[in-house]
Amino acid sequence: MSKHERISEERLNAFIDGELDTHEKNEVFEALGDDATLSHQICELRQLSELVRHAYDHPPESEKYVRPEPRRMSLWSRAAAATVLLALGALLGWEGHQPPAVPRADAEMHAMYWDKDRSFQNTDLSKVTSQQGTKRIILHLNTSSVARFDKALDTAERILETYANSEQGAEVEVVANASAIKLLRTGYSPYAQRVHDLQERYLNLTFLACKDAMDHVRELEDLKTDVTLLPDVDVTPSALEHILNRLSEGWVYLNV
Amino acid sequence: MNVITTLCKHQQFRRTLADYRGNLYRIAYSWCHNPALADDLVQETLTKALKNSSQLRDPKTVKAWLYRILSNCWRDHFRRSKDTVDVDDVVLIETNTPDRHHDRQQIVNRVRNAIACLPMGQRQVITLVDLEGCTYIEVAQIIDVPIGTVMSRLSRARKALKERLLESEVESCSNVHRLRKVP
Repeated sequence: MSKHERISEERLNAFIDGELDTHEKNEVFEALGDDATLSHQICELRQLSELVRHAYDHPPESEKYVRPEPRRMSLWSRAAAATVLLALGALLGWEGHQPPAVPRADAEMHAMYWDKDRSFQNTDLSKVTSQQGTKRIILHLNTSSVARFDKALDTAERILETYANSEQGAEVEVVANASAIKLLRTGYSPYAQRVHDLQERYLNLTFLACKDAMDHVRELEDLKTDVTLLPDVDVTPSALEHILNRLSEGWVYLNV
Repeated sequence: MNVITTLCKHQQFRRTLADYRGNLYRIAYSWCHNPALADDLVQETLTKALKNSSQLRDPKTVKAWLYRILSNCWRDHFRRSKDTVDVDDVVLIETNTPDRHHDRQQIVNRVRNAIACLPMGQRQVITLVDLEGCTYIEVAQIIDVPIGTVMSRLSRARKALKERLLESEVESCSNVHRLRKVP
């Protein structure tokens, strides 16, 4: 019996897969020394192994697979960003309750965006649209105040109207979370018709409701099904995360 | 503090799962040769992994643990669709072979076709070893068979591939059906 015949197929496979101990490897190496057939057999096994790897280097992607999940921020970054958003909201709220000496146009509203270094920058809406060149604006509502919702709709309409004739036009998202969800609920919102009209008129206007807030409402009201939203209102898993993603994409943030 | 530690661990675990997604998809695709099904299997695997994360005692074994879940998902899928067939003996045939659509990728397609012609038990072993670099012990744990079975399946799989890819230029497996009914 030749050395070659003593080495089983299984052992040859284990040899190329690095599964043999030192003693077993020595046996194979000894047999290889004077057996060209065995050597050829091992080459073929290695070739097959390479072929299999090569065949699946780039498997076809499934159409259903949505690849880049929006880059999720770390817990700490989100907490820090949330704090800044909260502070900004408070600031705007404080300013809002002071009687303005001169009525300000929406274009002069305080806006916030991320600069290239991902630092928050405060400015006027008019400045950011002219200097940064962006006309993508996200309006955030977090209370069920009808007056604020009214203002948000006015602002969205004015922005879309202002840039309606420009080359790219503006893109506006109205994002509601917390108790503001009520203003996008069927049967609760006093603005159902106006929301519908605006959506009919402006293709670049989107209304988004926060799923977390919807779930909270569902829990509070002990509902068996999801909260029913106005027609064509989209749902985002988390308003905060959505806003932060938009900021990272260059959108301008306005807390109404 | 414990809450924060738990949250951080959870985030870390999610990142680990995300890192493995590509590898899981590649293996799932090499088993079923169907992108949509492979995607479903990976989704199911990741969902189960998240749900049962507490069962992973040693984070170092996460790779084998994930492939084991994937293997179970694949087996469950088979049971749902062909509940009287022994999955290890099934020879899947791709009616819509990739080379019909991608002539430029002849080598890739020939290898994928050859893999698709292997019985499922052999296919799982060879892909786990060659694509993911799993050790024989890991493969034995993942698909829940003795290590001797892993070695013999691997040997048979490579022998079959050799015949199809290195010895015979053109060979179709389109008429091969080796389904065995489970008593």
